[in-house]
Amino acid sequence: MTAALPIPLIQLLQVLTVALGAPFVMGVIAKVEARLQGRRGPRIRQPYYDLAKLVRKEALAPEGASWFFLAAPLIAVTAYLTIPLLIPVLTTYGLPLGYMGDILGGGFLLSLASFVVATAALETGSPYAQMGSSRAKTFSAITEPVVLFVVFTVALLTGTDLPYALAATVRSSAGQIIRPAHLLAAAALFMVILHETGRIPVETHTGTNEFGMIEEARSFEHSGPYFALLRWGSELKQLILYTILADVFLVPWGLASTQKLDAVVLAIVALLAKACAVGCVVAVIDNSFAKLRLFKITEFVSAAFLLAVLGVFTLYLGGG
Amino acid sequence: MHTAVIHAALIHAALIHAALIRTAQTDPVQAPGVYEGVANVIAAVMLLLEFGMLRQALVRDQIRLYMGQSALLSVLAVVIAADRNLPDLYALAALSAALKVVAVPLVMRRLLGRTESQEGEDAPGVAGSQTLSPASSVLAGIVLAAVGFFCFGALKIHGPAAPALALSLAGAMVLVSFGLMIVRRDVASQAIGFFSLENAISLAALVVASGLPLILETAFLFDLLVAVVVFGMLIRAHHVRAESLSTADLTRLRG
Repeated sequence: MTAALPIPLIQLLQVLTVALGAPFVMGVIAKVEARLQGRRGPRIRQPYYDLAKLVRKEALAPEGASWFFLAAPLIAVTAYLTIPLLIPVLTTYGLPLGYMGDILGGGFLLSLASFVVATAALETGSPYAQMGSSRAKTFSAITEPVVLFVVFTVALLTGTDLPYALAATVRSSAGQIIRPAHLLAAAALFMVILHETGRIPVETHTGTNEFGMIEEARSFEHSGPYFALLRWGSELKQLILYTILADVFLVPWGLASTQKLDAVVLAIVALLAKACAVGCVVAVIDNSFAKLRLFKITEFVSAAFLLAVLGVFTLYLGGG
Repeated sequence: MHTAVIHAALIHAALIHAALIRTAQTDPVQAPGVYEGVANVIAAVMLLLEFGMLRQALVRDQIRLYMGQSALLSVLAVVIAADRNLPDLYALAALSAALKVVAVPLVMRRLLGRTESQEGEDAPGVAGSQTLSPASSVLAGIVLAAVGFFCFGALKIHGPAAPALALSLAGAMVLVSFGLMIVRRDVASQAIGFFSLENAISLAALVVASGLPLILETAFLFDLLVAVVVFGMLIRAHHVRAESLSTADLTRLRG
């Protein structure tokens, strides 16, 4: 018999799990990817050391950049740390702040973060940072319809668009998992996640070739603690998207259904394990496909769009 | 993630608000059950493979996708046979697999092998035979699929075996394979489009009339053999006359 945790503490734990687990998941992916390539790879804790190193360094801003350049990483990280309050990270039951917003609310926060980072990149006047933010905005405009259709599918499946409701629906019966609408929407979301986290086939995550960069190029001019915040922010974004995929769409099991300490601890371990499993799949994709040329990304997105649209179609006749 | 999200959020604000008040305890949409789900997923993947053929540039890869689609059709026949206790369908599945997964692709590959150039490249006239870019052809295909899907859905046919959704997906596949034959300029891709059209019809037949006598179903399969012979003749005759597989060379035959 273990003690029951107070609700606010569980809510705080959701944020802390994502905040502290995100660099770990990034480290695991880097390790798996290196192993698949026959290299030893960096330590799994390497992302933590990188962040610690950057925090100790001096912060510089380009001449002429306004206060917004330095505020942007803070706003972005704040937005990323708010999202874990809205999605089922540790519990099957909705926590009090979990109903502040739905999937679109989470989408708002993600886009707010990406918008402020892009604006800060424009402040610098550096051609690469500007090119990166221009590309990021262009391609996020074409992935937007995909996200919307995924949200529509969720709305049609559950009658709401709250992430907790979809997770509960998926858990309710095997028929809910095998239905085409659910599988198509999950596949489309996975493709969007590959795009949003800057993975192959859209972008080389660890590449140093500026011409192929999209997301990575935006933080070129930041340094020191601000750069650390941006790095941490992209790790947070990755873990948040993996959590949405795993806990809402694919495997919403292992979440705590009570306030018991052991259930919550198990949920933390399960979440990190699921995120690492998704990360392993991403690492395999990273190693088995080539990066698409920039103008071929529309083809990738059109395939994701096809999946999402078919998902909505199949629901319209009922029985999808 | 900007303007579109904002618009959609405004549209859905009322819905979300109502949902928040009810604290997400609404009943989920009824799931159709595992058997229907499996049948529908197989049909949906077949439609996706059809889209794959639509955007795939190389004929060899199109043949591979066709093999996958035909294999899925046989799997669906086995699933229906097992669930609805129709032993005839096992024989049909085996026959259709032998023909469409093994024989037709083999014949197509041999026909194309003869027309290939020495360097092992694709046959002349096949590369770059798309009239639309892959992304545009997928978007056009989505429109076609929507028309086919909702038209067949409006018929409200409920077959005894497979669910109505699979029938609508078959309808979408028919139109997309027509689209494939229209947007490609080479005979080989058009042949693949035609064969996959036959797959779509077989899927619809499985859904609506899986209790059909085996002899009739087999007769339909022989229709496919006739089509293969006709397209084989077409490919060879066209290659001999024009040294290319592109039908663009035929346009000046207009009167």
